[in-house]
Amino acid sequence: MKYFIMNLGCQMNQADSERIQSVLETMGLVKTEMEAEASVLGVVACSVRQKAIDKVHSKIHEWNERKQGQNLLTFLSGCILPADEDAFLRKFDVVFPIKDLSRVPELLRGSGIVTPLSQAPQPDATGMEHFWNVKPQYSSTFEAFVPIQNGCDKFCTFCAVPYTRGREVSRPSQAILEEVRNLVDRGYKSITLLGQNVNSYGLDKPGVECSFTELLREIGEYGKTSGRKFWVYFTSPHPRDMGRDVLETVARYEVLAKHIHLPLQSGDDKVLIRMNRNHSMDRYRTIVHEVRELLPDATLITDIIVGFTGETEEQFENTRLAMREFGYQMAFVAPYSPRPGAASARWSDDVPLPKKKERLRVLTEELHLSSLAYNQRLVGSKLRVLVERSDRKEGYLAARTEGKIPIRFASTDLTLVGQFAEVLVESVRPLSMEGQLL
Amino acid sequence: MIVVQAPYRVHGVEEVAPGLFVLSFDRNGLEFETGQYLSLGIPGHRKEREYSIYSSESDTHLAVLIKVVPEGAMSSKLVELKQGDLLHVSGPYGYFLLKPSLDAGVPLLWIATGSGVSPFHSFASTYPVSEYHLFHGTRTLNERVLVRDFPPKSVVSCVSGESGGDFHGRVTTYLSTWELDRSTHVFLCGNCDMIYDAFDLLQAKGIPAAQILTEVYY
Repeated sequence: MKYFIMNLGCQMNQADSERIQSVLETMGLVKTEMEAEASVLGVVACSVRQKAIDKVHSKIHEWNERKQGQNLLTFLSGCILPADEDAFLRKFDVVFPIKDLSRVPELLRGSGIVTPLSQAPQPDATGMEHFWNVKPQYSSTFEAFVPIQNGCDKFCTFCAVPYTRGREVSRPSQAILEEVRNLVDRGYKSITLLGQNVNSYGLDKPGVECSFTELLREIGEYGKTSGRKFWVYFTSPHPRDMGRDVLETVARYEVLAKHIHLPLQSGDDKVLIRMNRNHSMDRYRTIVHEVRELLPDATLITDIIVGFTGETEEQFENTRLAMREFGYQMAFVAPYSPRPGAASARWSDDVPLPKKKERLRVLTEELHLSSLAYNQRLVGSKLRVLVERSDRKEGYLAARTEGKIPIRFASTDLTLVGQFAEVLVESVRPLSMEGQLL
Repeated sequence: MIVVQAPYRVHGVEEVAPGLFVLSFDRNGLEFETGQYLSLGIPGHRKEREYSIYSSESDTHLAVLIKVVPEGAMSSKLVELKQGDLLHVSGPYGYFLLKPSLDAGVPLLWIATGSGVSPFHSFASTYPVSEYHLFHGTRTLNERVLVRDFPPKSVVSCVSGESGGDFHGRVTTYLSTWELDRSTHVFLCGNCDMIYDAFDLLQAKGIPAAQILTEVYY
């Protein structure tokens, strides 16, 4: 029996999918990339995003039509608002929040999927403990996502994660270190530590679990003793918990990638208040100064929402000025859309869409300027890059620098994919570069 | 931060002013810092809402102040709970903390509208001897009962809809007349419009953003 999973979410949802796959394969099901040949069809979605919800409804409508002539089972998981579960259950056969992964064999049996292997007894652990114990089916042979923390306690008003994934819970550090060591020993080159507030790691277990800085230090030490080359990233951090000690640790160890993701969301103090971000622009500025001081070559990446409820021209202008001041190498800028379940969904979405699009365009221009200025400084330098795949330009391979800047170079040697290579930077554009393989 | 998710039993619900209720319930050993909030839910209901803690760090039970929102998902259900009913409680959460400012020995100004006085009630009952000024804004005289537990010398009651308070008008109008020491730490809690107006006034008076703590009620 074959299964197919569609991922409509973020990297956390990808990590969810990789563990769901493992559970399904333990039951004896076989993965297929061909939706039409699967008997078990699943969506792992970020159901707090309206676009994702729309896609979920469209997909389940299509699958339920197919059910007229076929024996199919459908499921939904990922980030699901408790209030939406009942509505989705009327369309899907099985709906489960990711913390209920241990119940999947039982739920599928209840819906008629009975395989010899699905009769195995319930696992000892339940909830997130079980989720973290599941060995994932990594979707890449050189890049992996390692969840270290689940949930969120920050209650940003634009976000529903505290309600979809629950509160911050840290995964045991020994299990994280074991997974990282295992990946490194298998030759993985890029490992991303994942969490909704990754640098809040350990705060829920004071005196029991190590801090995020200590976790990074352990990984850094393993990098030194193993003698292997790899890069470790982390995302997403919250500025509130970004201490100088985290940056000092990243600076100390070669395997900790010089790439800092620091969500800004808005460059205006009052919008930050309305978003309940719990930090001021002065605090954010201090962190950026520390990044520049301790990690002068690091790339700085951010997330920004434009057109948040009540955002005035003056407040938006402060965000534009902040973008210019901080000179990001990449920014994920999104027009605000109310997310069901989030506090801000109760407020008027009063910035018109054309205005949001215009603000997005203005910030994209700012990003291109700062990205180009950074990239121009790299012309003529030799960089270590991780080769990812064939490039869209024929005869070229696509790679990324340690700072995750896309770079392509002429080569058709596919054995380089998943390996580090040395490249001389020859020409640059905003957000990307081109070079020569050395 | 320790997160507790367990059933808690309701001790009682007291209506302190029209539409404003104090809901008290088991503490179950939950530790918090004054100024933090809890997320409350009712078993069998899928929604939760966050409420600032109204009780002091040393009280034997927990309490929150609830303003009933007629179309709201939770408030009207919470105030209908009876003694012995169960609650889902998680937390504590938040960074609206008094202790660092107290330790710094700086002047303190607390500004609230309506039920936004809740964390200040917890502040004052946890540290009863602390020196502070509280400006409390309400529309009606009835709501002045929310500051009944504060020493009168510390409170300025600003009533915008009726005359008879300490000041007739908005709390931000009163703030605009107030002379502030620039080392003052200011705590703002309540609706976002008041917080925005107060923030602008405070910036104009030379108070840096880092000295302004906010808790938006929505």
